[in-house]
Amino acid sequence: MEKEKDFLNPEYYENRELSWLKFNGRVLNEARDKSIPLLERLKFVSITSSNLDEFFMVRVASLKDMVHAGYKKKDIAGMTAQEQLEAVSKETHLLVEQQYSTYNRSLLPLLHNCGIEILDAHEELTPEQAEYVDHYFMENVYPVLTPMAVDASRPFPLIRNKSLNIAALLSKKDEKKGETEFATVQVPSVLPRMIQIPSSEEGIRTFLLLEQVIERNIHQLFLNYHVLCAYPYRIMRNADLSIDEDEAEDLLQEIQKQLKKRQWGEVIRLEVEEKIDKQLLQILREALHVAQEDIFKISGPLDLTFLMKMYGMEGKDELRYPSYKPQLVPEITPGEDIFAAIRKGDILLHHPYQTFDPVVDFIRQASVDPDVLAIKQTLYRVSGNSPIIASLAQAAENGKQVSVLVELKARFDEENNIVWAKKLEKAGCHVIYGLVGLKTHSKIALVVRKEEDGIRRYVHLGTGNYNDSTAKLYTDLGMFTCSEAIGEDATAVFNMLSGYSEPLSWNKLAVAPIWLRKRFLKLIKREMKHAQEGREAFIKAKMNSLCDRDIIAALYEASSAGVKVELVIRGICCLKTGIPGISENITVRSIVGNFLEHSRIFWFHNDGQEEIYMGSADWMPRNLDRRVEIMFPVEDERLMDQVRHVLGTQIMDNTKAHILNPDGKYEKIDKRGKKLVNSQEQFCEEARNAAPKKANTYQERVFIPAEPVE
Amino acid sequence: MKITTFAAIYIGSYEVSMKVFEISSGRKIRQVDHVRSRLELGRDAYSKGVIGYELVEELCQVLKEFYSIMEGYKVDDYKAYAGNVLRAVSNELFILDQIRLRTRIEVHVISNSEHRFMSYKSLAASHDFEKMIQKSAVVVDVGGGSMQITLFRKGTAVTTQHIELGIMRIWEKLTKIRNLVSHYETQIQELIDKELEIFKRLYLSNQEIKYVILMGDYINEMVKGFSKKEEDGTIETERFLKLMNKWHKKSPEELSRELNLANDHDTLILPSVVLYKRLTEEMNASFIWVPGVGINDGIVYDYAEKKRIIHFAHDFKEDILAASKNLAERFQSYSCHTEAVLNMSTVIFDAMKKVHGMGKRERLLLQVAAILHDCGRYVSLINQSDCSYQIIMASEIIGMTHLEREIVASTVKHSSMPMQPYESVSDKMDQQSYMIVSKLMAILKIANAMDRSHKQKFKTIKAVLKNKELLITIEAEESIILEKGLFSSYADSFEEVFSVMPKIREKRVL
Repeated sequence: MEKEKDFLNPEYYENRELSWLKFNGRVLNEARDKSIPLLERLKFVSITSSNLDEFFMVRVASLKDMVHAGYKKKDIAGMTAQEQLEAVSKETHLLVEQQYSTYNRSLLPLLHNCGIEILDAHEELTPEQAEYVDHYFMENVYPVLTPMAVDASRPFPLIRNKSLNIAALLSKKDEKKGETEFATVQVPSVLPRMIQIPSSEEGIRTFLLLEQVIERNIHQLFLNYHVLCAYPYRIMRNADLSIDEDEAEDLLQEIQKQLKKRQWGEVIRLEVEEKIDKQLLQILREALHVAQEDIFKISGPLDLTFLMKMYGMEGKDELRYPSYKPQLVPEITPGEDIFAAIRKGDILLHHPYQTFDPVVDFIRQASVDPDVLAIKQTLYRVSGNSPIIASLAQAAENGKQVSVLVELKARFDEENNIVWAKKLEKAGCHVIYGLVGLKTHSKIALVVRKEEDGIRRYVHLGTGNYNDSTAKLYTDLGMFTCSEAIGEDATAVFNMLSGYSEPLSWNKLAVAPIWLRKRFLKLIKREMKHAQEGREAFIKAKMNSLCDRDIIAALYEASSAGVKVELVIRGICCLKTGIPGISENITVRSIVGNFLEHSRIFWFHNDGQEEIYMGSADWMPRNLDRRVEIMFPVEDERLMDQVRHVLGTQIMDNTKAHILNPDGKYEKIDKRGKKLVNSQEQFCEEARNAAPKKANTYQERVFIPAEPVE
Repeated sequence: MKITTFAAIYIGSYEVSMKVFEISSGRKIRQVDHVRSRLELGRDAYSKGVIGYELVEELCQVLKEFYSIMEGYKVDDYKAYAGNVLRAVSNELFILDQIRLRTRIEVHVISNSEHRFMSYKSLAASHDFEKMIQKSAVVVDVGGGSMQITLFRKGTAVTTQHIELGIMRIWEKLTKIRNLVSHYETQIQELIDKELEIFKRLYLSNQEIKYVILMGDYINEMVKGFSKKEEDGTIETERFLKLMNKWHKKSPEELSRELNLANDHDTLILPSVVLYKRLTEEMNASFIWVPGVGINDGIVYDYAEKKRIIHFAHDFKEDILAASKNLAERFQSYSCHTEAVLNMSTVIFDAMKKVHGMGKRERLLLQVAAILHDCGRYVSLINQSDCSYQIIMASEIIGMTHLEREIVASTVKHSSMPMQPYESVSDKMDQQSYMIVSKLMAILKIANAMDRSHKQKFKTIKAVLKNKELLITIEAEESIILEKGLFSSYADSFEEVFSVMPKIREKRVL
């Protein structure tokens, strides 16, 4: 018992917010990597920016709620909400500083060298440029601006969440000095943030940011005033989002009790330009009620997400990675019967190295196949113009039974989801709008087909969403199978999702929120037992985040018993490596690459009888307790080898991988004397080699004479 | 190969379930889908005697969904049955009508004996089962409203008893006192013990039982944890009881969590644990076996057998005969005379095949009637026909439907008194059954008459149908004046039924 407690010691755990910030730091690191093409590096800066925005809106907002609600419970690492907020604030300030120093010191000069110029002050414009800008302002910008002044009769206006604004100090022209007034104007989000303007030099593209255009012409908005100064600012509110699902249930109750105390729309972050006028900042602070630590003084343009636009600009292909075309899956020939292909054996799909088309095709073929009785699928985040949705609707129109579980609670996607859910309903699909209290995160598609020898079920199970656009960016694994055992389970999953009682037992699948956690703990314990008996034991796993206390404790216990644990965790990792007697046998690496690592693999040695699972769940409390998730075994020896290769290569990666040191810092691996391994590039290469060479569809034409049947 | 897709729906006291199967000859029946919807009809049924409209509404909703699932699988046929829970209520017909109108599903309410027989068929399809009953086994089929205990010895069913003690009913019975005590497992136990004790005394006294076969609700979940099982899938009783003893002190919440039940607070789990624990203790068998089949499986086996797609290795006829003999023995009416009557009536039945137009099943009923034709004497010598009727109607014989039991009982009753016109029995059976009773009775009467003296004077007996006469040739060692004399008075009623005159030809052997 005493020992049990040891593993739960808060000192052995990392706070999840801080761990997440480290992850964002690793993304930023990519922007600082000189071996990466310049525009790609810009992209990473943009990603850190949008990541940080989401982090504030969801996580920091949540912490603030806890503080307001007087929630005293400590987190996994023994920190109160207040302590976390303080630590997070410190770390984010550092991160932002680093972000802008990267942008200003490395990227801007490099861009200039490559013929791209981003002007960050309108004062630097040449006369010709100035004229162009002023003209642009009057033509395009001025008509959509709504300046708002603040005085005794006009209260401080509502500043929209995440919007970029310009604050200005004014003084009336006819009055004497001293009387200053405050005014603010929103930088319109309908206009492009970057405006290409004529260049002063030949062969250079010059851009000016929209706020600079407005700043330069701000006097046009306040004709009766002198504009004393004008600076952009941006706020982040704790507003329209409900409590983050990651939080404990007792927190929810606590907050409901204290609903009044929850400060709706409270500003949790204020970004201003570094050189902002002190008086102006003072006014903003007071009007927005921002604490000192929530102010971020930025040395550069606010909201760097515009760099994604820059990344996508035309031309300059030499500054980007050559685009990768997902390759054909060797087992599946486009245009041929996919069901026949699956009958030959299970098929593994590795996106984006291999194309996502077979998955789309799977549903498409099913929708027109006369033998197909039913199609059932879970949809979480779907691309806007999804061919899958079109096929599902088509299937329903063709008289097939189509059941679709649409998860409306997918973060930030609700509206989008409702639209096409209605579309499906109209077509005659049976649409289930999620389960009360649970997010359906599992990715499973089932096709029931009536064949000559009875009903056969074809199942696709995946680690990623049924989204054909993200499938080009996220690394995910999927599997097609027509195994009867899995087919039965798949039917049971959908029965459960339709509100029927759970199945009496599962054949192969492990399903959260009820069975999955136990299963994982059991698998870890089993490895531990083997280690204790002196046999070889290892766990190799890859996921996005690891922050479940029970699982980490079990891993610590396993490690101390001698189980070798190798983890590849992209994002949050609350586990600490190298604690003497606790986690010396655990290594953690994080791969941040061109594609977003998204697949989840769990590989257990099991005394030689290896077991490999994949699934939709991370080792996070939300995945294990508050979501419907599916973990499925990979049992075909050939597929197991493929998955082993995927995970094995990632563990060997020494180019894009960071390793988590005992001091909690992530560092790139020392490459000296080692063969360079870049897992993502290697997979691209392998997929290219494995893809069937352009099959000769039109073979020599031969008429085959029919023969009489015996 | 023709594949029949079949759906089996069962409406139970707290759950409505459907299984979809594929049946084809030469292959095992394959389960394709299983959906269960929790619906506690028993709450109304067992406490109020009617099922309220809200529950009927829900029931129709579930069945409607089932119907669309059936459509999804393009099923060829289905059977929907309801058991105890609908039999127990006074608005049964209205509920069935509502279901028919709203869901297009035709639900049949089956009697307990039919229900049990179907469950039993699903068991009999298993090879392990055949092996177990060769020794001795007790099958306990626990439902929400009642349970059935069937005793097997030497490969056949010896007796079966219906006990009105189901999980849901126990819970409902204890509704009032539940709040008075903190731990009511003692009360559950007392309730169970009362019923079990009598069964044990009557049927299990000094009997060794090797296996207890448990079917029913929750038991599958309960034994899921036993990963180490015997070779045939059984579990040592001791291990099972150890777990039950640990469990029955726990709260429903803890149990639900431990068993991973859908409902975190499943109130029915506690009565189940106590019930299975007591059953296992009382039966005192060495092993328990949980085959994991249920009524839905029974429905499909029953259907497939009736459609002649599958055949059972197990002989259900033998069960019926053995159970009948056992019943006759219990009322001390099984004798050489019974065997003589049994023998003679079968001979006559077979000889009359062309005339009476009855089949194997009726032959079996005749045999049962012959075996039981004297059982009423145990109660009253003068009123034996009525008493026999009552005894047969009150005793369940596994494998016989309620109607068949009525036929047998009526045959026995009227074999010693004149047959009544149809009108007088029309509330009990249809005309077809009435005809069967009349025919069986006519045969039984002359068979009985031929051993009037109960001395088994006939050595061999042959019967041949010739024109309008049934020639019964017998070899006897002693005078058969009595039998011959009485025979003629029964012969008339025989002729009335079959238009065939029976005649005895004597062949004296010395």
